[in-house]
Amino acid sequence: MPGSSSRPQRGTRVPSDHDAFAPLFMPRVVAVVGASATGINLGNEFIRHTQALKFTGRIIPVHPTAATIEGLPAVKSLSDIDGPVDFAYISVKADDAPSMMASGAGKVRYAQVVSSGFRESGTGQALEQRLVAAARSAGTRLLGPNSLGTYSPRGRISFIGQASDECGNVAVIAQSGGLGADVILRGQNRGLRYRAVVTLGNSADVGPVEMIEHFLGDADTKVIGLYAEDIGDGRAFFRVLRGNGGRKPVVVLLGGQTDQGSKAAASHTGSLVTGTQIWKGIVRQTGIVLVQTLDEFLDVLLAFQTLTPHRGTPTRRCVLFGNGGGTSVLAADAFDRHGLALLPIGKRALDRFAALKLFPGTSVENPIDTPITTLRQKNGDIAHDILRILLEEGDADAVVMHLNLTMFVGSADQTVDFLRNVMTSVFRAHEHPSPHTHLLLVLRTDGSEAVDKRRREFRAEAVQRGVPVYDELVNAAVALTGLAGFERHG
Amino acid sequence: MISALMNPLALLQAARADRRNVLSEPDAKSLLRSYEISVPRGATVLAATDPSLDDLAFPLAAKLVSRDVVHKSEVGGVRLGLRDRPSLERSIDDLTELARRLRIPFDGILVEEMAPEGVELVVGGTIDVRFGPILMLGIGGIFVEIFGDCVFAVCPITRTDAAEMIGALRGVAILRGARGRKHVDESLIVDALVKIGGKTGLLVALQREISEIDINPLIVSDDAAWACDARIVLAPATGNPGA
Repeated sequence: MPGSSSRPQRGTRVPSDHDAFAPLFMPRVVAVVGASATGINLGNEFIRHTQALKFTGRIIPVHPTAATIEGLPAVKSLSDIDGPVDFAYISVKADDAPSMMASGAGKVRYAQVVSSGFRESGTGQALEQRLVAAARSAGTRLLGPNSLGTYSPRGRISFIGQASDECGNVAVIAQSGGLGADVILRGQNRGLRYRAVVTLGNSADVGPVEMIEHFLGDADTKVIGLYAEDIGDGRAFFRVLRGNGGRKPVVVLLGGQTDQGSKAAASHTGSLVTGTQIWKGIVRQTGIVLVQTLDEFLDVLLAFQTLTPHRGTPTRRCVLFGNGGGTSVLAADAFDRHGLALLPIGKRALDRFAALKLFPGTSVENPIDTPITTLRQKNGDIAHDILRILLEEGDADAVVMHLNLTMFVGSADQTVDFLRNVMTSVFRAHEHPSPHTHLLLVLRTDGSEAVDKRRREFRAEAVQRGVPVYDELVNAAVALTGLAGFERHG
Repeated sequence: MISALMNPLALLQAARADRRNVLSEPDAKSLLRSYEISVPRGATVLAATDPSLDDLAFPLAAKLVSRDVVHKSEVGGVRLGLRDRPSLERSIDDLTELARRLRIPFDGILVEEMAPEGVELVVGGTIDVRFGPILMLGIGGIFVEIFGDCVFAVCPITRTDAAEMIGALRGVAILRGARGRKHVDESLIVDALVKIGGKTGLLVALQREISEIDINPLIVSDDAAWACDARIVLAPATGNPGA
């Protein structure tokens, strides 16, 4: 597709859409097995949400009796379909899944089995083995079972409603379907845009390591997120991430980790080793970023989506700037706890601040405290001047600007849309981003609809311009800590 | 040095044939030596009259060797800092008597030169079902016992990994001159870690043969990192070669 991109080319690009996983992420023919002719089950959901994304290929429902499903002509069996099926979405009873898989022999390239009742149920181990064997002999790669689906905006398929049709560069692999849905929806509301979100469930065939390897090699994936409960082949995982050598950020959220040392251990080492300890080692050895919660996961992914890591010089020295004295003080404490230092403002910057004649009540020590009266100077354009000084003189690794939106929305002075002006001036200051200083925004609200609405509006715009937006300063601290963890490895 | 000339695999096979799941300390030390890990000079003897004791320089340590005793210090089977011949002879007699009193097999007395003074570390390894060989480094004594000050790495490790393990210890300042202590030559620790957890290190090479290893203490003095005590646990005989 030479010349089709409006953005400048980034040198040599790996034609990643032509690789082995293209049928999964950019399918042309999709079969849906198990959708209902009368009600709405997961199969119907998949058809509707995929149609909502304006899927351009063929969707073929498979049903033993119905002539049409969701208005689409149905066939009785996968074996009745002429030609190859790139992707089959299978939501039938667990017991029926192996025979369904066999019926697509030689035809189906990827099959996602969302049915549950396999290994995870405690009794379905043998059934899962039969399913894997059926997939192998059918020549089909299996995702799942006990998964929820795959979301690929470039391929225009989704298992969940309201998913954005915008393509992004964040790839997420989740061993839980429900968490995958959270990642898509909560994530996109924070500005994340996805390359793909793939749920692997029990990972009986395609596992997390293989997916990581794929996205590491995919030139259009900037950051990889992994939610794992069982990494599978740990040695392969380690080898693949070693091979990555910290080139592409990988953010990992772990579930179901126990911290019990081996009970049978006959040695010191054996009794001291825990899952957490091993993962800490892997973090040190590979540069992956380990997070503790779903929100941290999304916050850190957003940092990698928007910011360019400073390889080899980990972010540490920060400047905080915004309104709210107590907020600044608490933020300074939180940053300190995360190992981030507040940089003293240098002499040249102080001289330039003096020339701005900021209103009394402003403190230009770090954290820089600018009451709303100050932020209204020059109709809000003062934010631009302050940020330019910080970006040009500050020597900071990161500038975090925070605004308590409530103070603007609730103010008696509504002569001008000061908030809009402040945001515009921030974006103007960011037009020439500093290669050495990350810029992050924290937009704080009181949770009221009016204020939340403004945050949504500004968040979308800011993230699009490459400025990540966080709800609270502590979230920004978490994001910067994650970023620094990766930068350290560079 | 009864088994100093045996190759590592033969040594492990002999232990297995003897239905032991833990190597004797002399055997463990031979194994370490074959991977070029510094071990204090020593000899395993049955009596104080053994001429091989004449080659050793005081101060010495004497340790009971018995296949039934894994934690020899807990039964009083260790005598350290023996300064002269009479105290060595007395210790050998005492330990021989101890084995008789406890009715445990007597496999000899390991007499070793005391390592020069230094910082005591703990180095260990285990085979994790998920990630394979895992290397541990801790600071000895109360640091690892009470505060759990230890770090882990997945093998094989590089020299960079090893250096970062040291840096990740909470008590790293102890190695770097805190409270008037001498600076430790960290490259000696890196060397020892790589000899165990590196690509051709003991733990990686023997990951199907052994299940756990403890070197406690590893005494890092000016000239070398000395493995002063070692315990090596064999993998179950049936093994799990595919793991």
